[in-house]
Amino acid sequence: MQSPEPRRNWLAPRNYFSVQRWELFGTGLFNLLVFSILFIYLFPTLYMVAASFMESIQLRDRNAPPYPSRQVRFAYEGKEYLVYDVPMGENESRPLALVAPGRTSSQFVDPANPEAGLITWDGNWRALVGVYRFHVTTDNFKILFDSLRLPQMVRNTLVVALITEIGVLFSSIIVAYGFARFPLPGGNLLFYLMIATILIPEKVTLIPTYFFFVRILGWEGSWLPVLVPFFFGNAVYIFLLRQNFKSIPKELEEAATLDGAGPIRTLFSVVLPQSWPVVITVSLLHFFYIWNETRQVSLYLSTRRDLAPVSFGIQNFQSLSPVQNQLQASALLIMIVPVIVLLLSQRFFMRGVVITGMEKD
Amino acid sequence: MNNIPRFRWRYDKTLGLLLISPWLIGFLLFKFLPILASLVLSFTDFYLIEPEATRFIGLENYRRLFQDQAVGYLLFATISMAITTIPLQIVSSILLAALLNSRRLAGSTPLRTLFFLPSIIPSVAIGLMWFGFVDPNTGWLNRFILQPLGLAGFNNVFSDAAIALLFTINSLWSIGPGMLIILGAMQGISDEIMEAARVDGAGPMVRFFRITLPMISPAIFFSLIINLIAVFGGVILLDRGNLFSGSSSPFDGYISYWLFEEWELGYAASLAWFFFVLVMVVIVALFASSRYWVYYPDRDV
Repeated sequence: MQSPEPRRNWLAPRNYFSVQRWELFGTGLFNLLVFSILFIYLFPTLYMVAASFMESIQLRDRNAPPYPSRQVRFAYEGKEYLVYDVPMGENESRPLALVAPGRTSSQFVDPANPEAGLITWDGNWRALVGVYRFHVTTDNFKILFDSLRLPQMVRNTLVVALITEIGVLFSSIIVAYGFARFPLPGGNLLFYLMIATILIPEKVTLIPTYFFFVRILGWEGSWLPVLVPFFFGNAVYIFLLRQNFKSIPKELEEAATLDGAGPIRTLFSVVLPQSWPVVITVSLLHFFYIWNETRQVSLYLSTRRDLAPVSFGIQNFQSLSPVQNQLQASALLIMIVPVIVLLLSQRFFMRGVVITGMEKD
Repeated sequence: MNNIPRFRWRYDKTLGLLLISPWLIGFLLFKFLPILASLVLSFTDFYLIEPEATRFIGLENYRRLFQDQAVGYLLFATISMAITTIPLQIVSSILLAALLNSRRLAGSTPLRTLFFLPSIIPSVAIGLMWFGFVDPNTGWLNRFILQPLGLAGFNNVFSDAAIALLFTINSLWSIGPGMLIILGAMQGISDEIMEAARVDGAGPMVRFFRITLPMISPAIFFSLIINLIAVFGGVILLDRGNLFSGSSSPFDGYISYWLFEEWELGYAASLAWFFFVLVMVVIVALFASSRYWVYYPDRDV
């Protein structure tokens, strides 16, 4: 829209801090800030990623670099020797293979020139720093794949996640709409009762619940104790959805009512399209819950190995193998699917925004 | 005459009860009896090893609770934990959501996922990762952060400072779902409102405090209540797959101790109910206060 720029007067003082430049600079600075925060925030998790590709020996080595690596070895006269960075005089050092370690003097061989024979160096070899080379091992993951029936376990988890996802979303949305918009007998009392059920620790009601499911309903060795309660809504999700429904103005719903839409139709065609972000959030939270769920499963499914979900398998693996890098690898492996789900869900977040904007016009 | 609809529903109590009936039925079926049973247990000396010898002892458990010196101490520890971690979590999730909601940010989709990532690390891995990270000899904290900066290294992983740092980081690493919820609420704010404010001369700060914060206050309120419940041992919004006995809340850990170490269900239940009443009073008070600071467009319902 701007008119063509007039001929520039080269003698006039130039404005280096134009609005556009300032904006660009600010955007750059802002991105730098966010990415630095992200780096600091995730720094310890990098350790997890690195450790799961390391050999056990590296985890105990205090001089090893942070990335997965292995100390360089050199074969000399039929045997392998570790290579160290040996200081030689002022500001100079050479990578030498340690052949005969000693407390006050050690003998080395030069990998570049083994024919020269043994080199004697005075000093404590324990103070030396090794020479490392980048080396990735996938053994930690191989052990996991060998000892667990991962495809079957992932399938079990996904089936349960899908079934409960449908049940919990449908029922929670309807109940939340009831709590958000309708007067109820006893005022807020029923709502407080629902909040109270999430405040009471699960473990306190554990034994009565177990008794009910196993002794009265006979649901041991099946997924039913996990599946069925979700079809009656989940208090946390109901609370979250209710907060969202209450933050939407009522005019559109009243218009839909005047047009003859019933409450369920109003909910699904008027209220829900404005609530996509929170519905996606609820379904994500539920998916992550099912993905990590081990408590209920350990109670009701410990006898049925063929029905075990992936979380249970990984947890058993973790309790049997106390090796740090294998544990880190198993943790990393179990996070892959949630990360993919999270990435895929982001596009729906965007869609939610678009629909919200349209509906509010 | 065709314009008059045949059926007009109103926001009435019967319809409301019908809509919430799935939850109500589920509550009566699966929750009510176990909760009632735990209340009854709190008036008995139920001991899991000898369930036959259970006697009804009235308020004896509650009398014992008030004489238990650990209760006061752990209550204080839990409340101070709530006072420090809840504001930290809520403020940082609002700030993070505001950063990620910015149009200037490059690659906000992967960034959201990355910031969410620590919240889904399984609980077994998170402890291991932490102790591997702060290990005095091989850990990254000493070798790559403290020593290059010329600071004194961590030598005792179980020192007060280390544990405080662990709790801070653990609570910051759990803000993923809260951040997502607040971000979702921020994206629900229509552009027209923001544009109108901009035209009227409201700067970014004014827009944030006068428009964004009130509009997302229902989500903030939700985060506040849920974080409070999580600190006091109730449901956690994003479960890392903790064990029944594992807990990060001091008082909740004490309940676990009586349940899983001593098997005294009666006393554990009375501790839980005592605690429940305390926290429920706070929650009801917060709900009562919400009319002064949480913005809902239609207040009449």
